[in-house]
Amino acid sequence: MTTVITRTTARIVVPIILVVAVSLFLQGHSLPGGGFIGGVLTVAAFTLVYVAYNLDYLEAGVLDREVDYDRHIGQHRTVAAYRRLFVFGLAVVVGSAVAGLFVGSPFLAQTYTYVHLPLFGEIELASAVVFDLGIYCVVVGGLLTIFSVVGAE
Amino acid sequence: MSLALAATVGVLFAFGTFLLLRDDLVKVVWGLAILSQAANVYLISMGGITEPTGDTVPVLAEYYAPFPETADPVVQALVLTAIVISFGMTAFALALSYRAYQENETIDVTEWPQ
Amino acid sequence: MSLLALAPMLAVLLTGTAALLVRGWPRLQRGVSVLGTLGYAGAVGSLCWQVVSGGAVVYQVGGWRAPFGITLVADALSAFMLALTAIVAVYAVVFSVRFIDDRNQRVYYHPMFQFLLLGATGALLTGDLFNLFVWFEVMLMASYVFVAFYGNAQHTAAAVRYVVLNIIGGVLMLLGIGGLYATTGTLNMADMARVLADPGGVTGAVVGLSALIFVTFALKAGLVPFQFWVPSAYRAAPLPVVAVFAGATKKVGIYAIIRLYFTVFGNADLSVAVPGADAGSSIGFLAPVLVLMGVASILVGGLGAVTRDSLDELFAYSSIGQIGFIAVPIGIAAASTGSLRHLGVLAALVFAFHHAVTKGLLFLSTGVIRDAVGTTRLSRLGGLADSSPAFASVMLVGGLSLVGIPPLAGFFGKLFVFDAASRRFAVAAAGTETTAGAAAILLVLVVGAVLTILYSTRAWMGAFWGGQTEAVVRGRIDPVEVALLSTFAAVVLASGVGFEPIVQFADAAADAALDTDGYVDLVLGGERS
Repeated sequence: MTTVITRTTARIVVPIILVVAVSLFLQGHSLPGGGFIGGVLTVAAFTLVYVAYNLDYLEAGVLDREVDYDRHIGQHRTVAAYRRLFVFGLAVVVGSAVAGLFVGSPFLAQTYTYVHLPLFGEIELASAVVFDLGIYCVVVGGLLTIFSVVGAE
Repeated sequence: MSLALAATVGVLFAFGTFLLLRDDLVKVVWGLAILSQAANVYLISMGGITEPTGDTVPVLAEYYAPFPETADPVVQALVLTAIVISFGMTAFALALSYRAYQENETIDVTEWPQ
Repeated sequence: MSLLALAPMLAVLLTGTAALLVRGWPRLQRGVSVLGTLGYAGAVGSLCWQVVSGGAVVYQVGGWRAPFGITLVADALSAFMLALTAIVAVYAVVFSVRFIDDRNQRVYYHPMFQFLLLGATGALLTGDLFNLFVWFEVMLMASYVFVAFYGNAQHTAAAVRYVVLNIIGGVLMLLGIGGLYATTGTLNMADMARVLADPGGVTGAVVGLSALIFVTFALKAGLVPFQFWVPSAYRAAPLPVVAVFAGATKKVGIYAIIRLYFTVFGNADLSVAVPGADAGSSIGFLAPVLVLMGVASILVGGLGAVTRDSLDELFAYSSIGQIGFIAVPIGIAAASTGSLRHLGVLAALVFAFHHAVTKGLLFLSTGVIRDAVGTTRLSRLGGLADSSPAFASVMLVGGLSLVGIPPLAGFFGKLFVFDAASRRFAVAAAGTETTAGAAAILLVLVVGAVLTILYSTRAWMGAFWGGQTEAVVRGRIDPVEVALLSTFAAVVLASGVGFEPIVQFADAAADAALDTDGYVDLVLGGERS
């Protein structure tokens, strides 16, 4: 699949997908979107890179790091990072779910506030975004771990 | 509309069941994915569009009186959850079938050990 | 609104996450897992105390009031099931630290164990039908990982079959839930009970739709004809987890049947005339189904267990049979009204308690044997009683409890089941209907009891008596494991000797299961219109 056409398409499409993913993620608490779908789209972008280039392209080509090609995929630095992202996301989800209990609100309770920023004007800050961020990390970390490990085999 | 939905659900279930009965594991997993989707379409069709009142659209109750026609939001929430679950399950089933293929050296489930 | 209802779930959720966070430090992870499970048991204990002494508690998640939000309901029935889950879980997790080898524990064993518990706890606590489905899936996800845990050809094959079966079950449950939502307009179980109790309401399709959900519950419980995943999955999963499967997650299926049919449908007028059921029972249609499945389970499980060669398979079949002993009294309860219905549910709960602790002990004991000898095949075992008399007596307690020798827990379980069956016979004899059905139930129960004696004796004699085989002579029984299990055996013994509090607790649980109005009031409270 690593033809010139796929590579060129990937170069153009991946940034667009990532931007859409971020916008879906940010509007998720009050409009269609959210952590899960944003995460899945992000994964789609990464997967496209994997398909068009190869598993090590992210590390060697984008991050410009040394890649040890002989190691088992389970020990790769990217995979370890995905796993950490998954665990981090889970911790954020649980943390944001429990946070309400400390201020006397129920488990999983959410709140929101409006802040005024220069240039942006009135924007809504929802605590649900933190929860969504956790979901986003869980989805991205979990799926990319699966894709890298199964893909490498 | 409901006839189209019913037909879709029926076709999806028929096709999913057919794939499920094959002895090729990959087709079985495809069958599972299709069955899950069939259940999701079915769930959506369970909500329907109701006559709008202040009770069904509590968010809008304070704003204006002629309520717009609304789809049932509950089934959509259910389907979202169900999609996420079936997505995770399918991913797991695929990874597992790859592993099972490696261990058993065939994807023909009838040749596996009991 | 009490945090106590949330506490057990919170305990496992935090423990599972913490165990993932510290996965780089295996010893710390084990410590977190064991302490967290003890914390879970503590939370369940205080919840039970609150429920028994102060009445049931309700927690509205996120502050959204029922029926709009998700409600956690901890009444006596939930608390009772949670209690037996907690007992098995504590012993299973401590045993795993010793039993599972270090390399395997380091993977995702402990976090997955906590998520298995989380699924079971959530399913027992939730008051929302769709949420029940979600917790089932959480529980299943963890159990898939455990069935495929050792990952060789046989294990992965068993796992694939298990996964396929349960995904189909999940789809069926979704269909049932969607249909119930369309007919009743609500997913909150208490609200659904209220809607269904309304005379003249739409109830026609409810019986058929609930059958779809029932299939999933029966699949979880491993009732015949949905039992065929049980032996291969139990053989594949690590034995401490099998103890939780047999002790706790199967019971979640039983709990769900009781909750849905007796609590939610309790006041509904689902007029389906069924021969052999009392006219006053609104869920008489459940009776023949459940009794037939239970009777078939007893026979299939018992006959299967008598013919198996390895101990883990023998106990796997045995737990199919024992689930039959739980299903039959529930079926009798569904056919009856008044005090006999109460007795049926009580019998099922008492038997469920007995089976959880006894089968938990037996599966963990099987683990000790596999650890020491390297096999659980009866043909390669023998003379274990000479190697370790202490371990032999632990297993003897489990075996005798399974058979139902007083004063062990199993005796009371069987006593209540036979009591319910014979009273059903008396009711049938007093009425005009035929007594053949009730007599057949009694007969099968007796046959089942005899089969239990047969395979328990076979397991005991094969493993512990006779000359020591070569494998047994070479093996060494781990004294720490035996010491741990002897305290478990003491629990089994104590729950038989001091049976009074348990039966009172089960009595309260059966009351809660049958008290539809109380459940609706509890959850919907002042909001009831």
